[in-house]
Amino acid sequence: MKVREIMTRDLTAVEPDVPVRELIFIFENAEVPNMPVVNEDGMLIGFISEKDLIRAALPGYFEMLHSASFIPDMNQLARKLTQIADDPIEKYMSRDVHYVTEEDDDLRAADLVIRKGVKNLPVVDENGYLVGRVRRIDLLRHFL
Amino acid sequence: MIVTVTLNPSVDKVYWVDSLPMCDTTQEVFLTRAKRSATSAGGKGVNMSVFFSQMGLENVAMGFVGGHTGHVVVRDLRDREVTTNFVWTREETRTNVTVLERRGETVVPMLINEPGPTISPSDLDRLIRRYRRMLHRAEWVVLAGSLPQGVDDGIYARLTEMAHDAGVRVILSAYGDALERGICAHPYIVKPDTREHRVLMGVELSSREAIIEAGRKVVGSGAGMAIISHEVTGDIVVAEEAAWEITTSVSTRQFRNVVGADDIFLAGIVYKLVRGESVENALRYGFAAGIASAECDERVCSNAEQIQEELTRAAVKRIEREGE
Repeated sequence: MKVREIMTRDLTAVEPDVPVRELIFIFENAEVPNMPVVNEDGMLIGFISEKDLIRAALPGYFEMLHSASFIPDMNQLARKLTQIADDPIEKYMSRDVHYVTEEDDDLRAADLVIRKGVKNLPVVDENGYLVGRVRRIDLLRHFL
Repeated sequence: MIVTVTLNPSVDKVYWVDSLPMCDTTQEVFLTRAKRSATSAGGKGVNMSVFFSQMGLENVAMGFVGGHTGHVVVRDLRDREVTTNFVWTREETRTNVTVLERRGETVVPMLINEPGPTISPSDLDRLIRRYRRMLHRAEWVVLAGSLPQGVDDGIYARLTEMAHDAGVRVILSAYGDALERGICAHPYIVKPDTREHRVLMGVELSSREAIIEAGRKVVGSGAGMAIISHEVTGDIVVAEEAAWEITTSVSTRQFRNVVGADDIFLAGIVYKLVRGESVENALRYGFAAGIASAECDERVCSNAEQIQEELTRAAVKRIEREGE
């Protein structure tokens, strides 16, 4: 089956100059953990998640630690998050975006979701315009 | 692609009751049990988007949503295969209640509409930005419905001008100052919401002649066409080249849910115009689609057979100017 038959037709996305603070507001209210980043024409240019923001607020050596309990002071995270709150999200977004097209088949979407460990994938049309997303739940519902 | 903008969408809750007794404080029991109920996304542009999607016409629904009810709106639209692109706000989307009471052979509606959330300047900025983005892909824009609190009456004029700059045709369905200021930006079709406001361009819409006069004023202000309700089963359309009266032989006793039928009327017209059909054909089809929806319990009827049946009862008659 084609992706266009199972995808969620939602174009909620942000532009690269949106501040981190505003993105957190959107994540919270739209109840989504990540979001495509589009240019002024609506073409997919990046992807940003809650994880990207948390990573940006953590010390640079975090990934070398075995556990978050090694961080001496969690206020450090709060302070850093406050510092970056007005930064444009393009500083923290992924530019290497995993996506599918409307014409891809469901198996490709499932493969990407499993291999890349993402909760949803942006879907673009043949011109690169964002036209929706495939969520893990879309795939589960579809395959049931 | 058609973009519909509903700045103040709603969760529409409909109750069907056998009777709705008016209670006073001396009564101890004031419970009315509904025979059934339905919940769906509502709002003028939203209703039109649902129709477009059911007819297989590519469209995107935009506007503001918030809170739990905002999620209900978006979920319902996605289930109906409408593409969504809403701006999320801190305050909750409104809930509108319709009670449909059976009185003998007719069904009488009672509506309670909430004012809606207050929109912040930053919410509006987000919407404008997304709207500008969508204009790159749109051929038609529908601007429809009431305004939420915090949004200036000039918004429809501003959105119309932006659409024109992008070469996109505009359909405007609203009331009051937001409508009249929008008319000044020259939308292609104007459909005043006359449920509460029976005055348009300073003309009281009290007679067929007054409606034609108001329609000519709207067209004289630069709009392409004015579609104005005359009676429940009749509308008047005024364009620069001609004016028409659309009527049906259907009895209002056949109506089961008139809420939203006007939106489906307009959606039917746009649906046919987008497909390149003549204005007269589009008017007849839209009218039939609106009447078919009024005859359904569901808000949006896209049953082709039922619309086809109503087409046989709809008449479009050209109104001649005096002296012609």
